[in-house]
Amino acid sequence: MTTTTGRPAERQSDDPRVTLDRDLGIFEPVPPYPPRTEREAEFYTLGDGQMFLNMGPQHPSTHGVLRVVLKLDGEKVVDLDPVLGYLHRGVEKLCENADYHQAICYTDPLEYVSSLFTEWSPVIAFEKLMDVTVPRRAEYIRVLSSELNRIASHALFLGWMALDLGGLTPILWSFIERDEIVDMLAALTGQRMLFNYFRIGGVNGDLNHEFMSRLGDWMSRATEQIEAGNGLLNENEIFVRRMRGLGTIDSKTALRMVMTGPNLRATGVPFDVRRAHPYSVFPELEFDIPTRQEGDCLARYLLRMDEIKQSLRIIDQCLHQMPDGPVMAKLPRLLRPRPGRAYAAIEGPRGQLSTYAVSDGTDQPFRMRIHDPSFIHLQSVGLLMTGDLIADCMAIMASLDPIMGGVDK
Amino acid sequence: MAMTRDAAPGSNLPAVPTEGREVVSPIVVPNTLWRAADPEAYDGGQESDITHLREYDASGAGRRDDGRWGGALDVIPTKADYVLDLIRMNSLWPLLSGLACCAIEMMSTATSKNDMDRWGMFPFRASPRQADVLIVAGTLTTKMAGPLVRLWEQMPEPKWCVAMGDCTCSGGRYKRSYSTVEGIDRVMPVDVYVPGCPPRPEGLIYGMMKLQQLVKERRGHWPERAIGPTVPEDV
Repeated sequence: MTTTTGRPAERQSDDPRVTLDRDLGIFEPVPPYPPRTEREAEFYTLGDGQMFLNMGPQHPSTHGVLRVVLKLDGEKVVDLDPVLGYLHRGVEKLCENADYHQAICYTDPLEYVSSLFTEWSPVIAFEKLMDVTVPRRAEYIRVLSSELNRIASHALFLGWMALDLGGLTPILWSFIERDEIVDMLAALTGQRMLFNYFRIGGVNGDLNHEFMSRLGDWMSRATEQIEAGNGLLNENEIFVRRMRGLGTIDSKTALRMVMTGPNLRATGVPFDVRRAHPYSVFPELEFDIPTRQEGDCLARYLLRMDEIKQSLRIIDQCLHQMPDGPVMAKLPRLLRPRPGRAYAAIEGPRGQLSTYAVSDGTDQPFRMRIHDPSFIHLQSVGLLMTGDLIADCMAIMASLDPIMGGVDK
Repeated sequence: MAMTRDAAPGSNLPAVPTEGREVVSPIVVPNTLWRAADPEAYDGGQESDITHLREYDASGAGRRDDGRWGGALDVIPTKADYVLDLIRMNSLWPLLSGLACCAIEMMSTATSKNDMDRWGMFPFRASPRQADVLIVAGTLTTKMAGPLVRLWEQMPEPKWCVAMGDCTCSGGRYKRSYSTVEGIDRVMPVDVYVPGCPPRPEGLIYGMMKLQQLVKERRGHWPERAIGPTVPEDV
């Protein structure tokens, strides 16, 4: 059919792009198109006595802009459909159009509460591409600063989790920790959140006096301060009873859902990238891998609190073993690696965070794939939430600790 | 029938009969304390025809949709407006709505160390129906633009908007991306821009104090604001 006025041909009724007559609101859980898959058709058909409840994208306890369509029977969640992409910023595509130094800057805000880790994994991948040897002092500084960042991230987790359950006090306590740490890191890196501190071949600057004095001051009272913050929740009977046995997942299912990090270790699998596939100077450091057997929300919470103690141990060792030397390898300003591919995985505060970079011989990465644990963990919410009450959805979501920047990239 | 003394010839305001129930004559105090920023406001500073709230209500002059009292009464509304602005200024209730990274710094602004509470910007409301200020914290993507505008429209007047972070001011480090909105002023009006990636909590507090000043001086009020980048007339 040809048109003379330049208008597109009228759509046929069997055209999959055809839209409904009704003007559907953006929050209406019915998709504005006929169901595309069997799963979609099944989900959007209500059974007897069931209803839809839309959670998000603006919701205080979805930790960002996640939208979840819940199918409810009374107060019980029968089924759910997460809708992603509200924070999709096209990071991977932007990295392809930036040179290797600039690409690190784009990966910073992926997991914005633990930026040093999202920098670290592409930096290692690029270093592998270019066969760069990083000075040992730079590696120690990387471990030191990133473990500090891990504590800040877990402190935020503690506060958020309590906030989602209705407790306001723990977030006030945990933000004290977090602010102290990010101010310390700001003295080191110049920024409070999106540090852009790790560079290909080392770090941006050496340890300075202000950072060291703040760190020493904080380390002398860190354990007591963190214990006091944990005491608010660990000894709270309401909290413990609420969390125990909630959102339980066994180790087999967790492995099948490709869970990593604290969420996997809470089911009893002692998998930690720092030990399983060691990178940086972790083989020289002594630390335990805490595990728990229960696999419920309480175990995930307690495990992160155990990890804080291990991080403090690592920081202590870093300070004692810190060698002298340069913090940056000698590199040309314009980096052109040979064609090839590299993969680097690190242990972030949420799990295995990895980057796969392909070089075609130019000064820009040909392709960069970022594997983020938040996205992987979010796909198990359907498994965990189904059959629970609405009020428990928040607790389960908080215990998985997803960051939407990492989910949507 | 006795008319009120203000039923001036030519006035289209309905006079309210008092029928001898008027015990005391109304006292009209000229407003010398406060001058409206807009010279046309409050009937151009004319002495009012209406002296009782009952008449005021009947006149329909108070039913304006911008959240302010109408300009009929000489003393009470002007002073009341002034007082209301002071109240609004010192209890700005922000909406608890974070989009991305800046939301963490917004939370840091509200918690222990940088306690935003001290300047009367306290309770982060989870519902847009109860909020005064929308702090847009984080990258606005094209998919989130619709819901965000809807949130803004759900907030009751008077309302203000603070763009926090480079992404919301201009696009920031994601300006070249295919899926982001280059500055939220393309989709909604903005009163205060707080640049930084992300701004420090002190920066947000400074921005909110600027907003308080703006509220007090009655600038940037709805509905005079334009949507989108404003272009001067002669360009």
